[in-house]
Amino acid sequence: MSKGERRVYQGVERGQPFEIEVDGEKIVAHEGETIGAALLAAGRRTLRYTHKLEQPRGLYCGIGLCQECRMTVNGIPNTQACQTLATPGCQVETQKSFNKRKS
Amino acid sequence: MKECDFVIIGGGPGGIAAAIKAAQAGVNVTLLDENERPGGQCFRQFEKGFTVADPDALGPDYRDGQELLHQLNSMQDKIRYLNNTLVWGIFEDRTLALARNGTTSSLRFKHLLVATGAYDRPVPFPGWTLPGVFTAGGAQKLVKSECVLPGQNILLAGTGPLQLVLADQILKAGGRIEAILEAGNIGENWIRGLMGIWGNWDFLKEGMRYLRSIQKAGVPFLRSHVILEARGDGQVEEAVIAKVDKNWRPRLNTARSVKVDTICLGYGLVPSTELTMLAECEHKYDLKQGGYIPLRKANMETSVPGIYAVGDGAGVAGRKVAIEEGCIAGISVASALGCIPHAKAREQIKPCRKRLDKINRFRKILDDISLPRKGLYELATDDTVICRCEDVTLKQLKAALADDTIQIKDLKRMTRIGMGPCEGRMCGPSIIEMMRHRLNAVAEDVGYLKPRPSIKPVALGVLAGNNSRS
Repeated sequence: MSKGERRVYQGVERGQPFEIEVDGEKIVAHEGETIGAALLAAGRRTLRYTHKLEQPRGLYCGIGLCQECRMTVNGIPNTQACQTLATPGCQVETQKSFNKRKS
Repeated sequence: MKECDFVIIGGGPGGIAAAIKAAQAGVNVTLLDENERPGGQCFRQFEKGFTVADPDALGPDYRDGQELLHQLNSMQDKIRYLNNTLVWGIFEDRTLALARNGTTSSLRFKHLLVATGAYDRPVPFPGWTLPGVFTAGGAQKLVKSECVLPGQNILLAGTGPLQLVLADQILKAGGRIEAILEAGNIGENWIRGLMGIWGNWDFLKEGMRYLRSIQKAGVPFLRSHVILEARGDGQVEEAVIAKVDKNWRPRLNTARSVKVDTICLGYGLVPSTELTMLAECEHKYDLKQGGYIPLRKANMETSVPGIYAVGDGAGVAGRKVAIEEGCIAGISVASALGCIPHAKAREQIKPCRKRLDKINRFRKILDDISLPRKGLYELATDDTVICRCEDVTLKQLKAALADDTIQIKDLKRMTRIGMGPCEGRMCGPSIIEMMRHRLNAVAEDVGYLKPRPSIKPVALGVLAGNNSRS
């Protein structure tokens, strides 16, 4: 996805900005944003890889049902990025397939 | 263990309306909601941290919602609202299993209302699992409550009025929409056709407003069009679209590619019936209402006495129907508990039913346009992943089906469909349709993926740990 502004500012005041870390890279999130939204705003759309086919997956249903956005957050695997609010300094990791994890 | 007179699951329009009506009659209500704040998907409130300058700009459903939410807030002495609470099972002796703040507990009820809403209908086609493909509801949540656009250049594909709502919201937020594909054959004069239905002016006004906003932005609205394929290296880069016939089968000579980075799919909604199914309420299949729905009496009671169901989770029909049904259920429970005399309850229900009838006349027409047709379920190719959790492809499904499997539960055993963390929500509805058409069977013969507790993933530590009782 091309770079560019995805946050909407018109008519909205956002909460305090802070940094979070995704696979070692620092990105900005605002208070009140889910991890999924902050990643999307930073242009990161792949959140995990599937176990068998190792396909990339991102936000899909966005309401906590499809489980496609499972990431490892502060060491806890299978955390839903679409349901989990970003907190200052939180450590987020893309979830790899079983095969990749073994190696 | 505490026993509650009236427990409501789901803090959307239907659940809130029922809570208010029952509380007004003097019933002590416990309202369980998975979200941080009440409102459901429809009246979703902003997260803490956001301030909105002009809430009126958020549309009429937001305003309706504020009214209901305000009423709910003013009745805290009668309504106990438990947020962040997942009901993960229903067990014998009218017992609910809850997970809240990392602990699990149980709760008994005398009367239960299931108002769990609906979710976007999954439709598999090549590339539908690529990052950048969102459900319309997911995109809407991002735009509406987190003020983040799902992408830079967006294609909307699906059917029905919810697509128009999403388009309006994206445009207002400054997003760019490449085109809106409506699979239904609406015809040139559909607005005039709808005008013929006397009395539902606010619906029509709303629809017209959305259409005008789309027209003003110069967004092409393509009738009888579907998306055939999403393509891209690791994420969406283009979409292949085509015109369809009346069965929504693509005319391949009309197929063309459009450059987009984001696709939002809104093929209607599927009712969340996991809890009514767990409670062993009888269900029937009605695709016009989204799929399997619980059978209900006029007072919204299911086949299991004391268990009621309202709103989209009992048949997709939108927020206005959910509110009226919620009122009816709330009054009925109050009457069953002896808080108001039967005659008075009947009197109170009458105007709700009248409004319901009026809305339903209008809905029938929209339902006919938006009913998912056969062709939609023929888009997947052999390599298309149908079950997202378990990476099961159409090829594997076909191989298993060749074995004379006729029930979806057999297919589950053979292929692992529906055994992943989404618990079959993302594959079940389309596999039922695929099997139904392929085997020329009725959906009830195909069956459904039986929900099991927990109906959503609950960490083992939560289940094993603090087993407190509330």
